[in-house]
Amino acid sequence: MTHAALAAEASTVPDERFLIARAQRGDRDAARSLYDAHSRRVHRLVFRLCGDEEMAQDLVQDTFIRVFDKLSTFRGESAFATWVHRIAVTVALNGLRKERRLKRGADDLDVANELPAPSSNVDPDLRDKLRAAIEALPPGSRASVILHDIEGYTHAEIGEMLGIAEGTSKARLFDARGRLRKALSAYAKEQDR
Amino acid sequence: MNEQRLDELLDDARRTWPLPPEPDYQAMWARIEREAFAGARPERRTPSWRIFSVGLAAALAMGIGLGRFTRAVESPAVAVAPTIVSDTAVRSSGAYDRVASELLGRTVVLLTALPEGGNVASGERFSMQATELLTSTRLLLDSPAASDARFKDLLEDLELVLAQIAMLQSGRTRQEIDLITDALVERDVVPRIRSAVARLAAGD
Repeated sequence: MTHAALAAEASTVPDERFLIARAQRGDRDAARSLYDAHSRRVHRLVFRLCGDEEMAQDLVQDTFIRVFDKLSTFRGESAFATWVHRIAVTVALNGLRKERRLKRGADDLDVANELPAPSSNVDPDLRDKLRAAIEALPPGSRASVILHDIEGYTHAEIGEMLGIAEGTSKARLFDARGRLRKALSAYAKEQDR
Repeated sequence: MNEQRLDELLDDARRTWPLPPEPDYQAMWARIEREAFAGARPERRTPSWRIFSVGLAAALAMGIGLGRFTRAVESPAVAVAPTIVSDTAVRSSGAYDRVASELLGRTVVLLTALPEGGNVASGERFSMQATELLTSTRLLLDSPAASDARFKDLLEDLELVLAQIAMLQSGRTRQEIDLITDALVERDVVPRIRSAVARLAAGD
């Protein structure tokens, strides 16, 4: 199931339309309800994109400031969640390009929730190497991997979010995965010995 | 490393990628609210050209109609040509009050019938009626009739409710109607309309 379908299923659309209409008229309670409904998902997304908790919080705030600033232009052509996430990705990528302060996976683990990882036969070191390799990718390539392979968006959705053609999204992902394979090949060979 | 192995690793990453710690959403909202809404006045969407042209046509029609009506009353023996009356004349003649009364009356009929409807046909009928009423509501919102704050609030609530009814979808009519009627009760809409009609009739 795509994210658009999940978003459509998860939200009661008429109710959300009502909230959006009220927020468009400057109703702060309605705006707060929209924020409550979408902020967790946006926070998770931008945290994965930037890898920094403090920056993620700034990006969430910047995202919703932009959302409410631009809300009058929302015409409902796409799902509200998709529209919000598109703004979040744009804000995050701009933030990443501006600040260039990508953090490594080890730092993330220090601040992340200490949830037990699901059982897996993947070597923890290799897992960390993959995260580090993803975070070392250029922002655009990194967004492609996170959005498609981690968050599960389709290329069409990613194209819409990033303002690029679906084919460009596929090409970017192909390129990014090539970089990841290259970055991990040395470690994989080491393991195979 | 081959593609299949990378797929396995990415699949593992999808399940094990660390979740961010829960931030203070309330504190984050405080900044959003401060920056997004500080000094902001609630905005009214500019009517589209289509609504504007419909409004213009309606205003002209109202002007012509009033002109005929006024002339006919004042001098019934004289042949009357269609006359476009000025905005001031329309206002002074209480035309806005009459339009508002008619709009509110028709809206009450629609809203009262709403909870009973739930099938596809009634959903489409409601939607068509609401679309017509919505246009009139928006025109009134842009007219001197909306200079009364209490009446303007009512029109704004009506605009939202009518917009929802206008968007009723055939497949989800019952569920959507329930949500709309809940909002009607919550906002006390129908009693407020009746009170407004009474005020208009009393010439307040």
